Amino acid sequence: MENSKIEQQLQQYEAQQSERLGLSQKPVHWHDAGLQSITPFDKRRDTVLFGGLTNAHDQLLLATLKGSGYHAQALPTPDNNALQCGKEFGNRGQCNPTYFTVGSLVHYLQSLRDQQGLSAQQIVDDYIFVTASTCGPCRFGMYVTEYRKALRDAGFDGFRVMSFQTEKSVANEPLAFPLSKRLSLALIRALVIADVINALGYRMRPYEVNEGETDRAQAESITLVSRAIAQGRGLGRALKQSRKWLDGVELNLLQAKPKVSVIGEFWAMTTEGEGNYRLQRFLESEGAECEVQPIAAWFLYLIWAERASHAEETRAGQHSTWAGRAQQLKLNLVARMLTGYFQHIAKQLGLHHYKLTDMDQLAKTSEHYYPSQLRGGEGHMEVAKLIQSFRDKKHHLVLSVKPFGCMPSSAVSDGIQPLVTAHYPEANFLAVETSGDGAVNVYSRVQMALFRARKSAEAEYLAQWSKYQPDEAEITTKVAKKRYYPHHVAGTAANAIITLGFSPGSE
Amino acid sequence: MQQDQSFHIGIDVGSTTVKLVLVNSDMAIRWSAYQRHEGQQALKLLGLLQQLEDDFPALTLDDVPAYITGSGGTPLAEPLGARFIQEVNAVTLAVEYLHPDVRSVVELGGQDAKIIHFKGAAGSPERQVITSMNDKCASGTGATLDKCMIKVGISPADVAKIPHLPDKIHPVAAKCGVFAETDVVNLIKSAVPAEEILNSLADAIVMQNLTVLTRGNILQPNVLLLGGPNTYLPFLQACWRTRIVEVWREHQLELPSGPPEALIQVPENAQYYAAYGAVVFGVGETGEVRHYAGAEALQEYLQTGTSKLKRSRLQQGLWQDQAELNQFLEAYRQPHFQPRAFKSGEIVNAYVGIDGGSTSSKAVLMDVQGVLISKAYLLSKGNPIEDSKALLIQLNKSITQQGATLNIEGCGVTGYAGDVLQKALSTDANMVETIAHLRSAQHYCGGDIDVICDIGGQDIKVLFMKNGEIDHFKLSNQCSAGNGMLLQAMAQQFAVPLEKFAEVAFSAQSAPEFSYGCAVFLDSDRVNFQKEGYSREELFAGLCQVLPKNIWQYVVQVPRLAAFGRKFVLQGGTQHNLAAVKAQVDYIKQRVPGAEVSVHPHTGECGAIGAALEAIKQVKEKGYSDFIGLQNSLQLSFSAQTSEETRCRFCDNLCSRTFIDIEVPQQPQPVRHITGFACEKGQVESKEQVVSLAKLRRKLKSDYPNLVDYESRLLFSRFYHVVQPPTAKPLWWQRLKAAPEISKKVDRTQLRIGIPRVLNIYTIAPFMRAYLEALGIQPQQIQFSDQSSERLWEEGSRYGAIDPCFPAKVSLAHIHNLLNKHHQRKPLDLIWFPAITHLPQQSPHSRGSSSCPVVAGTPSVANAAFTKTRDLFTDAGVSYLSDVIDMQNETLLKQQLFDSFSEPLALARHESDWAVAQGLAAMQHCDAELQMRAEKVLHRAKRDHQVVLLLLARPYHSDPGLNHELLEAFQALGYPILSIRSLPRSSTFLQRYFGEDIARGQIKDMLDINDVWPENYASNSAQKVWAAKFAARHNNIAVIDLSSFKCGHDAPSYGLIERIINSSNTPYFALHDIDANKPSGSINIRIRTFSHTLENFCQQLARQAEQQAALTKRVFHKRQQLTTRPETAPDHFNEDLESEQSRLIARAALQPEAQATPLDSRGKKHGKQ
Repeated sequence: MENSKIEQQLQQYEAQQSERLGLSQKPVHWHDAGLQSITPFDKRRDTVLFGGLTNAHDQLLLATLKGSGYHAQALPTPDNNALQCGKEFGNRGQCNPTYFTVGSLVHYLQSLRDQQGLSAQQIVDDYIFVTASTCGPCRFGMYVTEYRKALRDAGFDGFRVMSFQTEKSVANEPLAFPLSKRLSLALIRALVIADVINALGYRMRPYEVNEGETDRAQAESITLVSRAIAQGRGLGRALKQSRKWLDGVELNLLQAKPKVSVIGEFWAMTTEGEGNYRLQRFLESEGAECEVQPIAAWFLYLIWAERASHAEETRAGQHSTWAGRAQQLKLNLVARMLTGYFQHIAKQLGLHHYKLTDMDQLAKTSEHYYPSQLRGGEGHMEVAKLIQSFRDKKHHLVLSVKPFGCMPSSAVSDGIQPLVTAHYPEANFLAVETSGDGAVNVYSRVQMALFRARKSAEAEYLAQWSKYQPDEAEITTKVAKKRYYPHHVAGTAANAIITLGFSPGSE
Repeated sequence: MQQDQSFHIGIDVGSTTVKLVLVNSDMAIRWSAYQRHEGQQALKLLGLLQQLEDDFPALTLDDVPAYITGSGGTPLAEPLGARFIQEVNAVTLAVEYLHPDVRSVVELGGQDAKIIHFKGAAGSPERQVITSMNDKCASGTGATLDKCMIKVGISPADVAKIPHLPDKIHPVAAKCGVFAETDVVNLIKSAVPAEEILNSLADAIVMQNLTVLTRGNILQPNVLLLGGPNTYLPFLQACWRTRIVEVWREHQLELPSGPPEALIQVPENAQYYAAYGAVVFGVGETGEVRHYAGAEALQEYLQTGTSKLKRSRLQQGLWQDQAELNQFLEAYRQPHFQPRAFKSGEIVNAYVGIDGGSTSSKAVLMDVQGVLISKAYLLSKGNPIEDSKALLIQLNKSITQQGATLNIEGCGVTGYAGDVLQKALSTDANMVETIAHLRSAQHYCGGDIDVICDIGGQDIKVLFMKNGEIDHFKLSNQCSAGNGMLLQAMAQQFAVPLEKFAEVAFSAQSAPEFSYGCAVFLDSDRVNFQKEGYSREELFAGLCQVLPKNIWQYVVQVPRLAAFGRKFVLQGGTQHNLAAVKAQVDYIKQRVPGAEVSVHPHTGECGAIGAALEAIKQVKEKGYSDFIGLQNSLQLSFSAQTSEETRCRFCDNLCSRTFIDIEVPQQPQPVRHITGFACEKGQVESKEQVVSLAKLRRKLKSDYPNLVDYESRLLFSRFYHVVQPPTAKPLWWQRLKAAPEISKKVDRTQLRIGIPRVLNIYTIAPFMRAYLEALGIQPQQIQFSDQSSERLWEEGSRYGAIDPCFPAKVSLAHIHNLLNKHHQRKPLDLIWFPAITHLPQQSPHSRGSSSCPVVAGTPSVANAAFTKTRDLFTDAGVSYLSDVIDMQNETLLKQQLFDSFSEPLALARHESDWAVAQGLAAMQHCDAELQMRAEKVLHRAKRDHQVVLLLLARPYHSDPGLNHELLEAFQALGYPILSIRSLPRSSTFLQRYFGEDIARGQIKDMLDINDVWPENYASNSAQKVWAAKFAARHNNIAVIDLSSFKCGHDAPSYGLIERIINSSNTPYFALHDIDANKPSGSINIRIRTFSHTLENFCQQLARQAEQQAALTKRVFHKRQQLTTRPETAPDHFNEDLESEQSRLIARAALQPEAQATPLDSRGKKHGKQ
């Protein structure tokens, strides 16, 4: 018999015997099927899902995407149902922004399937979810993993979670959402306008004379601006009209209210839902004015981080001096343009005396406490903001809110803050962890810190009052004419008295 | 009552009690009352108010201002007409008013712990009040104490009489209330006396508060201790005094003359300070005054007001309609068990099985056919020997009362108390609980069960079956959310007998939807729901409904239950509660179509039944029983001793051990059982025994190498000899040429540098040592801190202000170790603890190489902790260097290290750069050495069909103080152990495992993990995932996966690793929440269950090898048949087989690794370097 025939027969025999002996079964190794064959994003077919910021941001982003010809849908603000869903399908031991945001997507897809009758395959084929993602060292960099895991376990294997990649090395990934320059600028515009509308709300709501007026003006403004953005015309007119509505809210600024800076982990401090126990509203209901970092500041931090890393690499000799300088100039310009645009919108909507954080100053402020090369989460910003708040008399209370077990915030910033508070003993600082449940305890701790903040605000106000001794009727009339006053001390009412006290009758 | 006096009412509604004070115009307390509210805050308060109104009938309601405080105070403020003040502020005001000299306050409440620091003189402008409360977690509070008091079986009246026993402290974790309970259960089951357990718990609570809640501040004298537990528990007060004085001494605080303990006081009425402070607040307030509306108003609120409250998260109760409920009850209600009847005078031959469980003990009698004769149940009274005697008496009585005589033919034990009972009773079997439950379930429900879910008092065990054996298992870790204790505690809070729980829960038509997860957080939900007006019935129903979610989604983590089969058996004591069963059955049936869910007919006694069945088997096999007999068992007596004499002195841990001497009748010597030790040395008593133990250990090490242990020693040793720079020019010349600005002359040979042996130092220690040595630091002058140990942690645990993962937290103790031990022996000049932002990248296709942010930030946290109150580095004359370094970017690394060391070492740039190159070479040497050893282990395992264990963990888990010496336990069972770092990385070796994936285009190189995890930005996590892939592809590897509690970098990889491992059926053992304390009880169950799985795996490997040999033989003969070649000599058949085997493998285009071992080439390469 020929050798080849013998070999063939032997092979057949061996296969047969292997089968009989139970040796033919090879172990199956898992590869993520969802990563193997990715259908590229199709603008005409796919509906873009997104969410996780505040209502104002989500609405304006939605309008921008629709205005650019996308089918898009903003997910509702994550609530406790989203949390439960996130916990069911997510890994154990995650932080609660992961559970809330991942759960929110799964919950929404389940509702498309169970209430609107779409099949899981239709959803997988026709929808995508877009999220910001970074290669940063904290869990935020791994959110997409969590989305994929939860979607797989919930029966939506292969659902495309796409991300805006910040790393050049992965810019051409199939799972990167194709973002044109034009669309990027339009999205940034939407975020900035939403930032300003939110900032106005935080400033006005505690002092409104008629309850609910600020919310109404904000909601009307968002609707109008959204319409203009979606239609691609009339944004200037919409902003003008919005300003009229917002300016129309009657305020009584002569109330000594504690000003609270809400810092901490990005999502926990910015969300306006159950993810942080509706903290901003709770503070306002307890008679405080709160200040929350706008999204634009986060962009400035990202630009700063890129600039700082590049500068360090240049100094080490990784880039030529000229290339280094050119990159510095470029990133500086981007930061200035963003700041300038923010101020432009702020002016249009009537938000005065509002400064975006100077990132260089922030890094310098924290350098003895928290190395600015440590990235992840808010990095050195939490520590720096705390120092600035009390050194510059900006707030009566700094409330650092973070998810339970947040790595950069709970395990690093909170560990360094005691050194800061030892150096600034007047600092009224409270760090609270959120997990979605246990609101009672968090509220109680906030009330504890607010007690002291309220006392400082009252003392500060009375001090200014006794210093300038204004006529009550006269100053009430004067204060009512101007809505915002420059910063001298923390309290809004005290700032009004100081400003008018220095230049009586100027307004 | 004097009519001319004005009064104020102060009310404090806490999480477990209500307090009421009536204060007169002189601010004196005229009347006060304190009561536990058992979850009925408003009702109990009403009772107190009515009592107050009865005692003061002339109290004019309109004139009495009222103030309310406490976590449950807010909703009652309105109906009572009281002003609300937050409780910490109330206490602060009370203390300022009553004790102007006090500078620190510690108040322990039911679920809250508060610390207040007063800085500056009272009334001065510099006065600062810093307040802090525990986070939402109720660890370290009265609630933990309460639950553990129930467990140890001491009445509240007797607790107050417990003396302070500072020398009899056993390790208890107080960072989590549930963890603490687990440790307490372990101590109880090891027969440690109750008073020692409660002292240990009190000490742990005090330490938890001192290390975390003080937020890094020192409690300055005078200190006031407030709150219920501090008032009523003298041993807790004493613990505070001991520990606070220790801190004062450590920080050399200047104290007034006299005993320092006198500066820590418990004032009269300590429990009323919050209520009193509320009044102080009211008196000082200028704003709105509200007047007490009277008990009647509260009563009206209770009747009508609560229904108006907004109820969040409302859901359907446990049943849709009565018919459905009746149908369920009919199907699942168990008939009452009737013990078997015997004739008078009959001799009953039986086997006994005892399950010494966590909260209860159970025993059964079975006949030789495995039919149940009688059973007994007992809520644990705190000692397993006494419990067992009581159970045997019950069983004996069930026979003797019929006039028959019991003859026990064999005895088996299981459960937490298995070991002590085995020694005491000389049993025939001591089974791990999981296997006992498996045997019992199969005995009653058949061999085709797919899933067994056992919910006990403390543990949750879920066994997934395949071919009648455990395929894999999930056990709750220390955190026991979802266990029976949760229901028991709730029942107790509402003063409902446990057996009435189901009845109460079934009476609710609706229920609140609890957030599932941590048991402690569930309790905060409970408080919230109560405030929203949910009734007791609804809360019970809601809790039952959350139970299956906690089991399947939180503990077991299986979102797709249907994947595991359709035949489920529920067992464990909790299944007595039909409401919990209903919730479970509904949950499973909703998710598994056609599910068949049955409840074990003797649900509480499954473990005991399994033990009895094993005893029957063992006695049959042996032909006799070792059991000491019924009469001897009933006469057992024991004594327990914990003292300086029993302390283990064979290692640095100095464990406080308990010797339990059990007197067995007719035995000359008592049987000694030793508990409370952390490592194996604790089990012996003499030096000779330690020596023989060490001998045994050495033999094990050579037979079954533990490369994790080897790595932990190699990293810090001097295995690489640095090469001096090629330039021979004198140093002054180099300085002049390269860095003329450095004029300082530093004698580097004299410098002594300390490095903490923690976190990422476990990755780069060889680099650090070589870098320093290349710069002229003498090898003996480089001092690493000691390995982590209980002692090291205890000595240096009081610096932190936060509560991160244990590896980060213990870093501060390592700095303490360097400063207070090594620096004292020989002064250090510098402590180098670099903040490592990036680690070496594993694959060129990795997306990043980030280090964990906690790990990178810990050096800065340590700096804050050691410089906050005083700069302890400066005090010691030591510099602290924690600059950032990036180990992935060599250019940057060189710049960063030069920046760091140019000044302290007077360095020239090129010297530093040379040293960096030396450091990197040392890292390569280290990796090569480990990989060479691992390759040998793997080769041998392949050849001998052995099982090898791979530790999937972060590099610092090779610290024995962090891995709880778990690996040594497996080594002792005869398994070699590999670390991730030791896995061979050469392409030739890995081709066999990843070649096909590359050929299919799924990955780009052997170390690429983008096919399973594209977000591989974090270096250590990426390595874990890659190692999991390797394990899945290597037939001989089983996996041990360790993660620390709160590890944020590991969490996203849990699901990935499980998928990778499960799809290849690799045996897998995960312990995801390891922390400071070793939960020895639950670890033992895991080790023993996993070793059962490993034994099956070994058999499977042997079977496969036999089958492979058979195949080779058959193919060999077939070839001969086809070629008609003459038969070769039969003596050489084995060699032929081997060559045939190799040929078969080669044909499959796979290279045998034995031929691919590139040892020589790598050896030469090293030589050149």
